[in-house]
Amino acid sequence: MSAVEGGPASGGLPPNTIIAIGVIGGLAGIYLTMLNQTFNTTIFSVMGGIGSIFAVVWGADAVRRVCSYGLGTGVPSIGMVALGMGVVAAIFGLILPETGILPIPAILGPVISFIVAALIGLVIGLLSNKILNMNIPIMEKSMIEIAGAGCLVMMGLSASIAGSFAFNDAILPSVVSTGYIAIVFIGGAMTILHPFNANLGPDESQYRTLYVAVEKAALIMVIAGFASLTVIDAVSAALTMLVGLLIFLVYFNKFMKSVHREAYKVVGTGLLPSAEELE
Amino acid sequence: MIIDPISIALITLGGVLIGVGVHFIPVGGAPAAMAQATGVGTGTVQLAAGAGLTGLISAGFMYNFLATAGTFGTSEFILVLASGAVGAMIMITVTMFIGQLVYVYCVGVPPVSAKVDKDPITGDRQDIYVSQGTEGHGVPTVSFVSGTIGALFGGMGGSLIYVQLMQIGNDPSNSAVVALAGIFATGVFYVNSVLASYNIGGTIEGFHDPKFKRVPKAIIACLVASLLCAFIAVPIMGGVS
Repeated sequence: MSAVEGGPASGGLPPNTIIAIGVIGGLAGIYLTMLNQTFNTTIFSVMGGIGSIFAVVWGADAVRRVCSYGLGTGVPSIGMVALGMGVVAAIFGLILPETGILPIPAILGPVISFIVAALIGLVIGLLSNKILNMNIPIMEKSMIEIAGAGCLVMMGLSASIAGSFAFNDAILPSVVSTGYIAIVFIGGAMTILHPFNANLGPDESQYRTLYVAVEKAALIMVIAGFASLTVIDAVSAALTMLVGLLIFLVYFNKFMKSVHREAYKVVGTGLLPSAEELE
Repeated sequence: MIIDPISIALITLGGVLIGVGVHFIPVGGAPAAMAQATGVGTGTVQLAAGAGLTGLISAGFMYNFLATAGTFGTSEFILVLASGAVGAMIMITVTMFIGQLVYVYCVGVPPVSAKVDKDPITGDRQDIYVSQGTEGHGVPTVSFVSGTIGALFGGMGGSLIYVQLMQIGNDPSNSAVVALAGIFATGVFYVNSVLASYNIGGTIEGFHDPKFKRVPKAIIACLVASLLCAFIAVPIMGGVS
């Protein structure tokens, strides 16, 4: 149940800037993991995690824009549907070039996933508005964005765990078979739905929401690094964890500072009083 | 790439069953968390997903047990679906029962529906027990029964998708096939339950709620969405095996 119902979100960076940051940053991060194969190392797995941070920022901003209209079902639903659509599209796009049915080079996998995600998002958005009569003017556009962001988050984190986005050689044995895909699914959905869910209200502001987005994305990156300990070598996993932890600390600090600046007053309540103090 | 029409039809049917099942579950949302609306105090997606995923686990266990033992025919197929449905039903009834204990003994409200004057199942008077300014509270008998029916449909739909994907993959001992089928079933489950919850738009008490008349719209929406997901999922599962 959104507290701010009935109007478009305002302020901050314009939506198109954020879309550009998300798409370019997300895809760049996923493709930069290919440096692993070029230099025969796994150290560049960290790029997948960084790419997923850009995608999370985009997804969280899209959630913020659509949820400002009030969905009536709570913000978490839209985050779960993002990764629901994203995971189906991501796996389809990555596996399609490798089946050899269509003559597509494997390098196009992430782009195909992204396009398929946008397509599913468009259909879900149209269904919500035209058949279910939700009447949210930006529903179709937002669903495309949310599905695309969910798909990029899913691929970015998977590539960061496996060290490559090749499906049959890397993601299938190291992310899907090991079950880490469940962490990527729920964790990715959390990063997209949580920032707005935690900040909504009359004084919600874009930069504070996006600080939480970066901070949450960095946390899930740490978890992805931890998961990749069992998949790729310890140095690369430690690098992913370390970078994630640093980004988390920086942005958590920024978030706390903005909360302190914008709150009327921040007071410590202390611990619960003991039995003697109450008497 | 083999696009098997029967698989596509069954996966789509599974998606529609999930969408219908969500409408039966008494979802109170944030108001119910404060005992100001009938139902369990959380969102549709969380309740449906909790029940659906438990159903998936029990269906997966039964499938693994039967498929590795030998032939997998129609009766085994039905057994797995039943197992998934029962798993989901147990999950939702436990959730509703414990929620009910909290509402009655901790919050101190009688379970009552504000949408009907008499409980359609027990015939008990409802309207005089509704606290002023609220839309009912707790989980009355009719909502409890309705929720159990909803979990039956939801659990069956989820396991139908899972089993059919496993049948296409045709290798129950390969963990990659199991994980892929599981994550796809989860993805399709979330898409359908969210679409259904958008149709409900917040809270619903069960099959006696006037909002329940919106089900046909959800069937159309879930049909289209699941069909799209099925067209994507079937070739992938065929490609892995």
